[in-house]
Amino acid sequence: MKRHNYLLDIIIVLIVVLAAFIGFFRIKNGFSYHWNWGSIPQFFFKTDGTGHISANLLVLGFLTTIKLSIWAFTAALFIGTVMGVLRTRENLFARMIGRTYIEIARNTPPLVLIFIFYFFIGNNIIAALGIDNWARGLHGSGRSIISFLFTKPERFSEFLSAVFTLAVYEGAYITEIVRGGLESIPKGQFEGANALGINFLDKYRFVILPQVFRKVLPSLTGQSISTIKDSSIVSIISIQELTFQGMQIMASTYMVFEIWITITVMYFILTFSLSTLANFVEGKLIRN
Amino acid sequence: MKKIILFLMIIVSVFFVLSCGNNTKKQAGSSESLLDTISRRGVIKVGLSTFVPWAMNDKNGNLIGFEVDVAKRLASDMGVDIELIPTKWSGIIPALLTGKFDVIIGGMGIRPDRNLKVNFSIPYEYSGLSIAANKEKASGFSTLEDFNKKDIIIATRIGSTGASVAEKLLPLATLKLFDDESQVIQELLSGRAHALIASAPMPAYQVIKNSEKLFMPFEGTFTKEPIGFALKKGDYDLVNYFNNWITVVDAEGWLAERNHYWFETREWENLVQ
Repeated sequence: MKRHNYLLDIIIVLIVVLAAFIGFFRIKNGFSYHWNWGSIPQFFFKTDGTGHISANLLVLGFLTTIKLSIWAFTAALFIGTVMGVLRTRENLFARMIGRTYIEIARNTPPLVLIFIFYFFIGNNIIAALGIDNWARGLHGSGRSIISFLFTKPERFSEFLSAVFTLAVYEGAYITEIVRGGLESIPKGQFEGANALGINFLDKYRFVILPQVFRKVLPSLTGQSISTIKDSSIVSIISIQELTFQGMQIMASTYMVFEIWITITVMYFILTFSLSTLANFVEGKLIRN
Repeated sequence: MKKIILFLMIIVSVFFVLSCGNNTKKQAGSSESLLDTISRRGVIKVGLSTFVPWAMNDKNGNLIGFEVDVAKRLASDMGVDIELIPTKWSGIIPALLTGKFDVIIGGMGIRPDRNLKVNFSIPYEYSGLSIAANKEKASGFSTLEDFNKKDIIIATRIGSTGASVAEKLLPLATLKLFDDESQVIQELLSGRAHALIASAPMPAYQVIKNSEKLFMPFEGTFTKEPIGFALKKGDYDLVNYFNNWITVVDAEGWLAERNHYWFETREWENLVQ
């Protein structure tokens, strides 16, 4: 039995190696392209005349992707929790709000959603709040705090609309995850909490939601990986994240394949380390 | 519970109505010119799209190019700082109309159909379209008419002048539209298209760079296109300022000198790669 498995493994490995070779051969010969990997490192880090090293476009884009994903996911988690609770209430009105939200957000293409938010809603609401002027007017430490946590103050309002759009989109999926978690909690837990006489918020905060999150943690980490991947869509509204920066470099240097491959590897490193971390945390939870 | 929800809904709807009203007021009463807004803000926001050698990233991630020089000089003459906002070409007009920036200085051709949506300054530059073709697929082609056949595929950039001109001059050929010039070039190099149409000097540079694959069916450009600043409708003070600024720097010979540097020399090439 064991020997057979080994044989199958060897055959599969051989097929993969052969396919890689054929692919490589095709790229090398059938494909008219001047490879120029030597120019790639300078887009990670640049050195000025004095030998001072600082981050260049790709690293800056990578950091923006991370910040964008963290904020979008945090906001999505909040939206998803509130909507997930609404989805499971007895009250018809509450259920309708939750249902309407997820059906609209899940049944529209994210690209369309992003355009609508960026040009219509983001434009009206963010302009009315005066966030743009506020961010521009910042000085000193205020500027550096915004730059560190979000992005350059000049780009802050665009960044916010991107975060908001991504959060609304991802929030719909988190709503369903949270709803699934809530429905798996035995009725006795709700009744027990009610019997203690604690109020509505405390019931969820201390009794129900901690149990829910323990159950749905694996699905949530999957969704956080999706958020990172989906964040590349906001490049179309010119948020300067990894995909956008890569496309800018491509438009300037015409090094199409080198840049796409580099970007792919960068996204993979980010999401793969996240899923490894998730596996580790999950293992710990199960052992506890 | 119900009362709280009702209360929240009222707040949200009042807020929404207020924000809408605020916005229409701003549009209707545009008594204040953007010119004043720019000087008060101390920053002019310029939208552009990456497009060699008009605007591109150098090795250090800074924007350089003909447009960037024009925009920087404009800002310093206005006495304000500059904020360059790289934007995807396909979304650049909606972004201007929704106020993401004050003006497009992005090699935008003055075209009557575009002029219905935005205002243009007088031209500060003239550009023309030229064509580069794949040696294998289009061998022997030497006039524009050669490309006007049913099975010919032309690659060009979406929303560009090249796309609309190709539609008019080459009605029989099939157009393949892309968002970026790098994709257009790749399509031609891989032989999935017979030719590409783009603003000079890009096709000629690509032929020099890939001389074993590509050729120019005929030298020079086959259209002449005025390039202007694009801005929102209704602001005549700003149009007037831009027109006179262009007249002045043109008379100085500054525009011609910059044009020579970016379009006729390749001295800037090692800044990019």
